[in-house]
Amino acid sequence: MSRPAQACVTRLEEIVSGGNVLADPAELDLHQVDGLRPSAVVQPAEVPQVAEIMRFAAAEKLAVIPCGGCTKLRIGSPPARYDIALDLSRMNRVLAYDPRDLTLGVEPGVRIEDLLRVLGEQNQFLPLAVPFADRATVGGIVAANSSSPLRHFYGGVRDFCLGMEFVTGEGVISKGGGRVVKNVTGYDLHKLLIGSLGTLAVITRVNFRTFPLPPAQGTFIASFADAESAFGFCRGVAQSVLTPQILEVADPGAAHFLFSAAAPARITPQQWSVVITAAGHSALVDRYARELGHMASAAKAAEFMPLSDTEQSSVLAQIREFPRLVLEAAPDAAIFRIGVLPTAMPSLLEDLSEIAKHYHVGLAALTRASGIVYAAFFAEEGSETSSAATAGAAKEAFHICTLPENSAQAMLEWCPPEMKRMGTDLWGSRRDDFVLMQRVKNVFDPQNVLSAGRFTSGI
Amino acid sequence: MQPQLIRALVALLGPKAVLSQAEDLMLYEYDGSVELGSPECIVFPGSTREVAEIVRLAKQYETPLVGRGAGTGLSGGAIARNGGIVISFSRMNRILEIDAANLRAVVQPGVVNLDLSRAVEHLGLYYAPDPSSQRSCTIGGNVSENSGGPHTLAYGVTSNHVTGMELVLPEGEIVRIGGKTIETPGYDLCGLLVGSEGTLALVTEITVRLTRKPEAVKTLLAVYDTLDDTTETVVDITVRAITPAACEMLDGFTLRAVEDYVHAGFPKDCAAVLLIEVEGLTEAVEAQAAAITEVCRQHNAREVRVARDDRERDLLWKGRKNAFGALGRLSPMYYVQDGVIPRTRLPETLRCIEEVSRKYDLQIGNIFHAGDGNLHPLILFDERDPEQFKRVTAAGLEIMRHCVAVGGALTGEHGVGMEKNELMPLMFTPEDIDLMRRVRAAFNPAGRLNPGKVLPLGKACGEIRVQPMPVSSTVPA
Repeated sequence: MSRPAQACVTRLEEIVSGGNVLADPAELDLHQVDGLRPSAVVQPAEVPQVAEIMRFAAAEKLAVIPCGGCTKLRIGSPPARYDIALDLSRMNRVLAYDPRDLTLGVEPGVRIEDLLRVLGEQNQFLPLAVPFADRATVGGIVAANSSSPLRHFYGGVRDFCLGMEFVTGEGVISKGGGRVVKNVTGYDLHKLLIGSLGTLAVITRVNFRTFPLPPAQGTFIASFADAESAFGFCRGVAQSVLTPQILEVADPGAAHFLFSAAAPARITPQQWSVVITAAGHSALVDRYARELGHMASAAKAAEFMPLSDTEQSSVLAQIREFPRLVLEAAPDAAIFRIGVLPTAMPSLLEDLSEIAKHYHVGLAALTRASGIVYAAFFAEEGSETSSAATAGAAKEAFHICTLPENSAQAMLEWCPPEMKRMGTDLWGSRRDDFVLMQRVKNVFDPQNVLSAGRFTSGI
Repeated sequence: MQPQLIRALVALLGPKAVLSQAEDLMLYEYDGSVELGSPECIVFPGSTREVAEIVRLAKQYETPLVGRGAGTGLSGGAIARNGGIVISFSRMNRILEIDAANLRAVVQPGVVNLDLSRAVEHLGLYYAPDPSSQRSCTIGGNVSENSGGPHTLAYGVTSNHVTGMELVLPEGEIVRIGGKTIETPGYDLCGLLVGSEGTLALVTEITVRLTRKPEAVKTLLAVYDTLDDTTETVVDITVRAITPAACEMLDGFTLRAVEDYVHAGFPKDCAAVLLIEVEGLTEAVEAQAAAITEVCRQHNAREVRVARDDRERDLLWKGRKNAFGALGRLSPMYYVQDGVIPRTRLPETLRCIEEVSRKYDLQIGNIFHAGDGNLHPLILFDERDPEQFKRVTAAGLEIMRHCVAVGGALTGEHGVGMEKNELMPLMFTPEDIDLMRRVRAAFNPAGRLNPGKVLPLGKACGEIRVQPMPVSSTVPA
């Protein structure tokens, strides 16, 4: 270990008691980000320790990357520097849960799976059906603004997160928002942290509103021969009086990942599938079954399948884990997360499919009707596709997103480190609000020690 | 104000779009709060470009700038506390685009809240945030204050309905943030800007989400003989995880004033009523209405009435939305509070307000968004009596202290403005406030934009000086 690295470890050991600073090669490897290894992994247990670590880092200009379950360290641009992995997994307590008030305050290191279990005991939940559910922590989910299919009905993190406490890049303990379900006191600083990839502050507490678990739930899959009819049906559902919890369109590539292992044998993977989940009293779920069935047949669905309870839980788990499934099967996949308006979805999907054909790469696209397309390009099994082809497809995908008919907002959420080293852009062309983001970054982290370089436009 | 600045503004906007006579300025000294402040000039730009030009002139002449919509705000947000130019957005009142297929509308800031809902009504859509002032308040003002309304219980406040904005920054730059899509890469600047009370930028265009009208709506009126039974009902509805679209409470004193004014059919001899609305698919609405009725009866509601038709429903809501006005008939002035509490603390909080009313010998009416714990105690007073006004301020402070002490917030939807900025230390540490101050400086470095709002000024006002609360992490949950 180099002398500065040793000094860093020694100082960190003074801050958190012994045993909570790890510097053995295996641990450092576990925490590497895009090939960069930290000098130390530090595991604080209390907010003042986090603050002291950050003050030390800012004074010494040591680059810090906060982490929890380490499931999303691959997201974002390669870090400019990396000295300390700030592992928050020991800060995993539920600090306040008032089921009667439907509010919750948790530390960042609590695993979503554990949290959902606690809430489930009170017949409540958080609409965070996010990938890597067995390991992902609340802090990471919020910092990456992980996409959940339940957003269709419940909104995203920004809609049900009530407030946060955090430690800035200078080691200042601060907060934004509050703990009650309605609050406009002061600036909503916590909203800036959602999706900030740890570039502004270290999240130390998140307050949420919780939701009652619906008494009954039903999931349906309608399959179609082509994209046009699938999106036509999806649009019909979205514009009806029905308010499903989940409404997603899987292209044949996505259907392969979603349904090949888990699903009803009746699904033919070559088809386009629309997945709809309805919840409420059983009479209501029955009504969805009836009306969706009618709408599906009017839209010339090849099939309309109400799923059994077992099928439902396995299909919903697969949908939740979509990016993970793709990455497990194709570790070199490039997975886009694209914000898109519903009317532009068919043309965007068509353009993405053309790109895949042109570059001879596979495509799996899962479209959330709320306005997000998850699109993965990957080398198909047995083919000799190079990473250059995937990179070429990615570059082209950014281009087609800027076309007026698509006017989509793309981010390359997952791609192999080699592709990043080739200089592949992850964020699309620089937006004109970049200057404001830069100013915000300078307020929270003037020394640029937090997740340096991992965000858009080099922030 | 320098005559050259007025001349430059007239040259830019024309004589009709600039007001600087004392009698004109008086009309812009106040809003819906108890605060006052005199502007030196009012301008009425017609475009973003004109706004940017005004901003540049204000910079050149080092003059404060305050954006203003309809002036219905309840915390002094649109009042020129330090004089300077008030930018009225009343001419920038066009709906620029309605994109029904994507549930979006693009509007100028001066569009009146209800006008947007009316413009999309024929498409089966509406704009969900519904402040009581929605007939006159503007979307720009709503964005500044992050306005709520009765139906935010189910649909969220303004922040949940804004996806993009065009801003004019205090240095004159024009910047777009967010967009029409639900996600754009980078920090959630819209999340920061909504509710920043006009202290970060002037908003010149807003992209909002539209909401589809529900299939069915049911409005219930539950009538009670005691306040405790009323508040216990609200707690129980929350605890049972029934989620109405709105759950409003009016106490007996308020009801009688409302009934004399609006004739909505409220019983005048009760202690309080709950106005509860459920929306959604017919089956869900029926089930929820039945569940709510049962809870009301369990808590001794003497009557649970269901509005038979739209006319009856509209009348009940008219009563609720005109309640402030009704109380205004009883007293020369009222001071409306906006604290929020965890919903389970409603019964004790109402008892606390009753006590405050007795202690300070003040009449307090209670009308509020019970379902999300957002209180609106209205303290009636006569502003010609300075001694009484002192008691009003002290009573208000005591209620707000209680809200914060039980884990709540100073303001749920009215904003901090110049009314509660010195109370910010009740909720925030000096470090929290310093960070907010630096965020403000990142957008508004010279502090020309809406000075004296949201954050405490250097020295606290003697009357309502407050002790900082301990760092929140150490406060018991």
